[in-house]
Amino acid sequence: MMLAVFLLLALALGFGWFGLRRLAIGCAALAFACAIWLFQWEIYSPTDGYRMPWIDTRLDVPDAGTRA
Amino acid sequence: MFASPAVQRPLALLNWLALTAMLAAICAVLLAAMGFQYIGGEIPCPLCLLERAAMFGVCFGILLQLRGGFSYQNTGFGLLSALFLLIVATRQSLLDIYPRPGHEYIGSAIFGIHMPVWSILIALALLIGFSLKLAVLGGDRHLQEHPAASFPAIAKAAAVLGPLVIALCVINLISVGVQCGLGQCHTTGYLLIDGPQPGG
Repeated sequence: MMLAVFLLLALALGFGWFGLRRLAIGCAALAFACAIWLFQWEIYSPTDGYRMPWIDTRLDVPDAGTRA
Repeated sequence: MFASPAVQRPLALLNWLALTAMLAAICAVLLAAMGFQYIGGEIPCPLCLLERAAMFGVCFGILLQLRGGFSYQNTGFGLLSALFLLIVATRQSLLDIYPRPGHEYIGSAIFGIHMPVWSILIALALLIGFSLKLAVLGGDRHLQEHPAASFPAIAKAAAVLGPLVIALCVINLISVGVQCGLGQCHTTGYLLIDGPQPGG
């Protein structure tokens, strides 16, 4: 998939440089869609989903019975 | 912007200068990243590659303007790519912020700042640059009436930077092919050189 992103980007840049605007924008839009899909796929974890528990800043509130 | 005809051409020149400077700065960043990869031996992670792709997206928006003249659509592509760069870089910085299994190595620091954090700063600089350019110079008739080609120095710079960006993208395409093949990218080695990676 990463290969597809860079292939589409190279095509978009090439078409854009040679004045083929519609083709260039089509390739760039496809590259963008692939990049967004790849990004969400890369950051998704089967255990945590999209969450990042290592930066969880919630404070553990002690039970009422254990309070002094 | 309601600029008088006398200042329209200088304003258009400022616009093209700003875009050319942005393109040159991104080229320098991409060249530095490729230097770290090919000379320093640091294999880019998938999110790092997506950050490079986002930078090429910004280059695409600028290149279309330099070749075909100003349009809000071209500016939109640049802005969207800069925003995507910011999102990916922020997520990567948050992934690397705390050492965990599989995330122990986060690459070398440049001037004490790691590359994903640099990417955040670059994305912010690009977003501020685009916003300032639109706010101060506008996107009105004076930009459409004075294309980049009407300024010889800008046209020459574009003639160098445009092919350079395309060449950098093609080099990255080949590099991604060697590193990832058609599948998932790994930072442990190049698939076509070192063979399949464990767990890949």
